[in-house]
Amino acid sequence: MKHVIGWIDRRFPLTAFVKHELTEYPTPRNLSFWWNFGSLAGIVLVIQIITGIFLAMHYKPDASLAFDSVEHIMREVNYGWLIRFMHSTGASAFFAMIFIHMARTLYYGSYRAPRELMWWTGQVLLLLLMATAFMGYLLPWGQMSYWGAQVITSLFGAVPFLGDEMVIWLRGDFTVGNATLTRFFALHYLLPFIIVAAVIIHLVALHAVRSSNPSGINLKDKNNIPFHPYFTVKDLFGISVFFTVYSYFVFFNPNLLIEADNYIPANPMQTPAHIVPEWYFLPFYAILRAVPDLVGGVIAMALSVMIFAAMPYLDRSKIPGGARYRPIFRIMFYLFMLDILVLGYVGAHPPEGFLVPLGQIATFFYFAAFAFLRFFSKWEDKWLFNRGLPAEVQAMLSSEQAQKTDRRHHKKDRRETPGDNHND
Amino acid sequence: MIKQVVLVCLILSTACFNIFLATIIFVTTSFATTNNHPLENIVFSQDPASLQRGAMIYYDVCRICHSMKYIRYKTLQEIGLSNKQIDTLRGDKPENSTPEKTTSDHMLSTLYGQVPPDLSLMAKARKHGPQYIYTLLTSYTENEGKYENPVFPGIKMPDAMNIAVAINESSKEEIKNQAKDVTEFLLWASDPRASIRKKIGLYVIIYFSILSILLYFVMKRVWSRLDNVES
Ligand code: HEC
Repeated sequence: MKHVIGWIDRRFPLTAFVKHELTEYPTPRNLSFWWNFGSLAGIVLVIQIITGIFLAMHYKPDASLAFDSVEHIMREVNYGWLIRFMHSTGASAFFAMIFIHMARTLYYGSYRAPRELMWWTGQVLLLLLMATAFMGYLLPWGQMSYWGAQVITSLFGAVPFLGDEMVIWLRGDFTVGNATLTRFFALHYLLPFIIVAAVIIHLVALHAVRSSNPSGINLKDKNNIPFHPYFTVKDLFGISVFFTVYSYFVFFNPNLLIEADNYIPANPMQTPAHIVPEWYFLPFYAILRAVPDLVGGVIAMALSVMIFAAMPYLDRSKIPGGARYRPIFRIMFYLFMLDILVLGYVGAHPPEGFLVPLGQIATFFYFAAFAFLRFFSKWEDKWLFNRGLPAEVQAMLSSEQAQKTDRRHHKKDRRETPGDNHND
Repeated sequence: MIKQVVLVCLILSTACFNIFLATIIFVTTSFATTNNHPLENIVFSQDPASLQRGAMIYYDVCRICHSMKYIRYKTLQEIGLSNKQIDTLRGDKPENSTPEKTTSDHMLSTLYGQVPPDLSLMAKARKHGPQYIYTLLTSYTENEGKYENPVFPGIKMPDAMNIAVAINESSKEEIKNQAKDVTEFLLWASDPRASIRKKIGLYVIIYFSILSILLYFVMKRVWSRLDNVES
C-alpha cells in the first residue's frame, strides 16, 4: 500500500492533497449543526445524479411515450419505484437543504467579507438548481408538468421586443410540445454535471476563505481543528439523520409532494383548475402574481431570487457576523422567514379574497427587508455601540483589527519576496 | 447513565418526529373535493379478499366503459387471484395483456359525449383519490329518471353501481361495500408496489435510526479527544 501511494505521490500530489484539504484542513471547532447542510446538499446531489442516470436508462423523452415510460419504471422495472421516488423526493430534499443552507448563511452573516464569492457561486448554484428542477418537472409529462412549463415559459414573453421569439425559441414550437420535452430532457441531463463543476468551484473558494462560524469572525489557530476526523464524523452523523427523514418521505409518503393532476397525462386541450408550481417555487410565484402587471411581475420575481446576491453590499454593519450579536438583524431575519412562509401559502392558493392584498403586503416586506437593511443596521450599530458592546464582541473587534493589520504587514512582506506564494 | 438517557431520548425523538410529520400531514389534509363537497373519510385496508372482490367488480361492471392499461392480467396474482381465475378472466388474451373496455370508443362517445378515462391511475389522479372515488360512486341520486351526483355535478357517468335505485337500506349497504371493494382495487392498481415499499421502508428507517444513534456516539467519542486540549 505504502509503495503504491508513494508511486502515485511521485506523479500526483495525492497525500499532500488529502493532508491539505482533509486531514489537516483547519475548521472552526464551534460550528453548530446548522453547518451540516452544505454536505447534506452535496449528498442529495449525488443521490439525484445516480438515480437520474438509472431513470434515464428506462425513460423515453417523447411526448407520446414519456408518461407511459414513467409508469413502466414504477411498475415493471426492478425497484424502479424506488429509483423514481428517490429522485422525485430528492428534488424537494435538495431545495430543503439549500434553503436551510442559505438561511444559515443569512442568519450568521456568512456572506460577509471575505466570503462574497462563496455566496455568489452559491447564488449561481441556486439558479442552476432551479433551472434543472423546472426542466425535470416536465419530464413525467403529466398535466401539471405540461401546464407548469406552459406558464413559466410564457413568462419570457415579457422580455421587451424579443419576448415572443424567445418563448418560441425556448419551447422549440409555438406551444410546449415534443420539441420542448426533448430539449428539456437533454438539458436536465446536462445541468447536474455543470452543477458538480460549480460545486467544485464553491468548495475551492471555501478552502481559500475557510468556514465561517457562529461567532462571526475568523478564529485564532488554536480554535481550529482538523476537518478529519472531527467533521467527517459529524457530517456522517448528519447524513444518517438526513436519510432517516428522507426515507420516511420516500417510502411512506412519496406522493405527498406530487400533485394529483400530474398522474393525468398531459392534455393540451384541457387546462387544470389551478396551476400550481412545486412547493419550492411558491414564494417566488406569489411575488410574480402580486404585481398586477405581467412585465412588472416577472421583473419582481427575477429580482426576488437575484437580490440575495446584493447581501454583501447591503449588510455593512460594524458588528461582526450576523444575528448572534445583532438583535435587530435577528428580528429582521425571523420576520423575513415568516414572510417567506406567508408568500408560500399565498402562492399555493388561487388569488382570491384577502390573499391578494396579503400577497402584495408580503411582497412589499420581502423587498423592504433588503432595502431597509442598511438603515436598520446603522441604527443598530449606533445603539449597540452606545449601550456598550459585550466584552467578547469588543475582544473580537480588536482581534479582527489586529488580524487586519497583521495581514497588511503580511502582504507587504510578500510583495518584497516574490516567488514565495504560500497563501493560507 | 447519561448515555442511556441520550440514547432513549434520541430514539424517542426520531419516533416522535415521524409521528409529528404524519400528524401534520393528516391534519392539514382536509377531506373535500375542489367544489368543497365533503368526502367520506374511509380507511382502506388493502385486504386481499376485498381486493379480489374489487377486481371482479371492476371486471364485471366498470370494464364495460373503462380500460386499465397499466395493469396486466398476470399481475393480478399479486392480489391473490389464482392462475386459473386469471385464465378465465383473460379468456384468449395473452397473460401479458391489459384489460380493455368492452364497449367501443365510438359507441361510448356517442352515448356519453366522451371516452371514459382509464382507471389504472385514478386513485392517484384525484386529490384524496380513494375517498373521492368511493364518495363519488355512492353519492348518486335519481331525480325523475335522471341521475345526479353532488360530488361531480353534471358527471356523464351513469350510476354504475345502481345505488340511486337501491330498493332498501340493506341493499344500499351491500352496494356501499362493493363500492369500497372496487375502490380498494383501484387503490392497489394505482400503485401496486405500495405494500412492498412500506415493508422495505420500515426496515430502512429502523436501519438509519440505529445507524444515526451509533454515529452519534462515535462522534461524541471522537470529539471527546478535544476535551483535554484547552480551547
Ligand atoms: C356506462 C359506462 C360506465 C361505467 C359502467 C362506469 N363508468 Fe366510470 N365513467 C364513465 C364516464 C362516461 C366517465 C366520464 C365522466 C365525466 O367526465 O363526466 C366516467 C368517469 C369515471 C371516473 C372519473 C370521475 C372524475 O373525477 O373525472 C371514475 C373514478 C369512474 N368513472 C369510476 C368508475 C368505476 C369505479 C366504475 C365501476 C364501478 C365505473 N366508473 C363504471 C362511464 C362509465
